[in-house]
Amino acid sequence: MIAAAILPVVLVTLLIGIHGVAAMRTTSDFLVASRRISPMVNAAAVAGEYLSAASFLGVAGLMVKNGVGALWYPVGFTAGYIAMLALVAAPMRRTGALTVPDFAEARLGSPALRKLSAVVVLVIGGLYAVPQFQAAGLVLNVVSGAPYWFGVVLAGAAVSVTLALGGMRAATYVQAFQFVLKLVLFTVPAVWLLVVAGPDTRRDALEPLEFTTFHRETSVQFQIGTELVVAEPTPVRVGDGSVRELAPGRYAAAEGSRWTFPAGAAVPEVDGAARPGSTEWLQPLADPSDTGHPVLATWSLLMATVLGTMGLPHIIVRFHTSPDGRSARRTAAITVGLLGAFYLFPVVYGALGAVLRPELYLAGATDTVVVALPATVDTGTTGAVFTALLTAGASAAFLATSLGLLLALSGAVSHDLVPGTLRRLRLTTFAVAGVIVLLALPAARFDVGLLVTSAFAVAASTFCPLLVLGIWWPRLTASGAIAGVLVGLVSSAGVIGANLALGVPSGGIAVVLGQPALWSVPLAFATMILVSLRGEPPPWATAALLRLHLGDGVATR
Amino acid sequence: MTRQRRVAVTSPQTRMALARRPGAPGRLPHLAPDDADRAWRTYREQRRQAAVAVAVVVLLLFGLPVVLAVLPQLGESRVAGIRVAWLAVGVLPYPVLAALAFWQLRRAERAEDRT
Repeated sequence: MIAAAILPVVLVTLLIGIHGVAAMRTTSDFLVASRRISPMVNAAAVAGEYLSAASFLGVAGLMVKNGVGALWYPVGFTAGYIAMLALVAAPMRRTGALTVPDFAEARLGSPALRKLSAVVVLVIGGLYAVPQFQAAGLVLNVVSGAPYWFGVVLAGAAVSVTLALGGMRAATYVQAFQFVLKLVLFTVPAVWLLVVAGPDTRRDALEPLEFTTFHRETSVQFQIGTELVVAEPTPVRVGDGSVRELAPGRYAAAEGSRWTFPAGAAVPEVDGAARPGSTEWLQPLADPSDTGHPVLATWSLLMATVLGTMGLPHIIVRFHTSPDGRSARRTAAITVGLLGAFYLFPVVYGALGAVLRPELYLAGATDTVVVALPATVDTGTTGAVFTALLTAGASAAFLATSLGLLLALSGAVSHDLVPGTLRRLRLTTFAVAGVIVLLALPAARFDVGLLVTSAFAVAASTFCPLLVLGIWWPRLTASGAIAGVLVGLVSSAGVIGANLALGVPSGGIAVVLGQPALWSVPLAFATMILVSLRGEPPPWATAALLRLHLGDGVATR
Repeated sequence: MTRQRRVAVTSPQTRMALARRPGAPGRLPHLAPDDADRAWRTYREQRRQAAVAVAVVVLLLFGLPVVLAVLPQLGESRVAGIRVAWLAVGVLPYPVLAALAFWQLRRAERAEDRT
C-alpha cells in the first residue's frame, strides 16, 4: 500500500523530467521554452521546491509538541518572500548570478568572498537537508515499521538515483507539478479528516482539554530515549511484561520501548514539550526552548525565517528561470499567495492531532502526526488510502527539497570550492548524499523544527546582510562583506552547534543562546557597515550597483 | 531528419556572469550618463518603496506577538467558535501578506515604468 503510494510520485517525477528533456531537443525550442516560463509556473516551481518535509509534516508536529505558537513558523516562511520581493529578486536576477557566491564575486570582485560564501552554502544546505532525511526515516518507520536507519539510507539512495537518472533536468515543470501534487495531497485529506472526525472531535479540537489522563488504553512507542516525569502513582505495562505501578519520580523510557498505559492513568510529563491543551500549549507565541520571554523568542524566530528565506541556496537558483528582473519580482509575489494557500492547512492536522493522538508528544514522534491521523479516525480501507496519499505527499515534499538542496550543495563544492568538470559534479552529488545520510543517522533526537530554523538563522545572519547591502549600499567593500559574513556565520552557526552538542540552555539565557537570529543578524549588518566605512569601495562600485536597478534590457546592452 | 548541432544556450545575463574572470568584473561596469541618471532615480524611488514595504511587514509581524501577549483576553475571545488567537496566527497573516506582496509589486513596477 505504502510502496504503491510512493512509487507513483517518484515515477511521475521521473516521467515529467524525461518528457521535459525530450520535448526540448532543439536550440530554438529550448530558447522559446525558457523565455515563456511564466511567473505563475515559476512561482509554483519555487513553492514546490520550498515546501519541504518540514512544512508538510513538521509544522503540524511542532504544534502538537509545543503548542499553537508553532503556527508562527509558516508565517515567517511566507513573509520571507515579501522581503525577497522588495529587496532582492529583481536586482539579483539582473546580475545574472546563479548563486550567492556568484553574486558576491560579480558585485564585489573578491574570490575570497566567493569561497567563504560557498562554505556558508554548505552550512545552510547541510542544516536544511539533514532534517529532510530525518523526516523520511521517521515517516517510513511509522507507516511500515522499518527501522529509522533504513528509511534514511533508502531516502539517500532514492535522491541519488533520481539525480543520476536526470529526473530533475526539466526542473521547472517537475517542481511546478510537485507543488500542485503537494497542495492536493495535503488539502484533500485535511478536509476528509475534518468531515470524518465528526462534530464531537471537531469541537474538542477547537477547545482542547489538557491531556492529563489517558481516556483509553494507550500504547506509546518511544522513538527516542525520553525522560518521563511521573507526578502521581501511575500503572503501566512495559513491553509485554505485567502491569506495575510507578511511584512519583523520573523514569527513563529507552529508545524503541513500548509502554502501555491503561485507561484512566495519569499522563506523565516530558521536559521541553508542552502538554497538548495546557495553558502553555494554548499560548499563541513561539517559545520552543521555554525561555520565559515568549515575545522575544517569537521575534527571533520571525527574524530568522523572514530574512533567511532570501539566502536559501536552492531557492535563489530557481529565480534564474525567470527571463528578467521584472518577472523574477512577479514570481516572488505570486509565491507569497501560493504558500499562503498551503499554510492554511497545517493547523487542521495540528489541532486534530492534539486531541486524537496526544500521546505522540510522549513518544517524541510528533513529526509523524500528519501520516498517523487517517488511521486514527478510520481503521478501514479509506483510512489506509488516505495514509498512503499523505505518505506520498510527504515523500514528494522530501524529494523536491532534497534534490534542490543536493544540487546546490554539489554545485558549491565542485563549482566554487574546487572547480571541476561535469563528471566530477555527478560524483560529488553521490558524495554529498552520503555525507548527509551519515549526519542524519544520529540526528533522530533533534527536532525537525529546530534544525530548519537553524538553517534560516545562519542564512539570515550571513547572506541576508550580504545581499541587502550589496544591492542597496554603494559603499560596501569586499573586506566589509567578508568580515560581516564571518561574524554572522560564527555567531549563528557557532551558537547552534553548541546547542546541538550540549543541549539548549534552559531559562532566560535561552533567549540569547537558543535562537541567535535576534542579535546575530544586526551584529552581522553592523560589522559589514563599520568595516566597509573604514575602507574605500573601488571606483566602479557605484556603476556596478546602479546597473542592478536599471530596468530590464538596458543593463545588458 | 537532419541532425541539428547542439549549442549551449544561455541568457545574455548568464553569459555576462560567466565571462567574468576571477579577481575583478571582466568588463568594468560602466553606465552612459543618461542611463546613470535614470538608474539613480529608479534606485532612489525603489529604495524608498522597499524600505516602506519591509517596515510595514516588520511592524505587522513583530507587532502581532506583542498584541497577543499584552491582551491575552483578546486571544481568548471567540469568533464563530474559534479562538481569535488561532485565527490571528493561523489564518489572518496569509491574505494580508498576499495583499502586501501585490501592493509592493505594483509600486515597484510603476516606479520602473515612470523613469
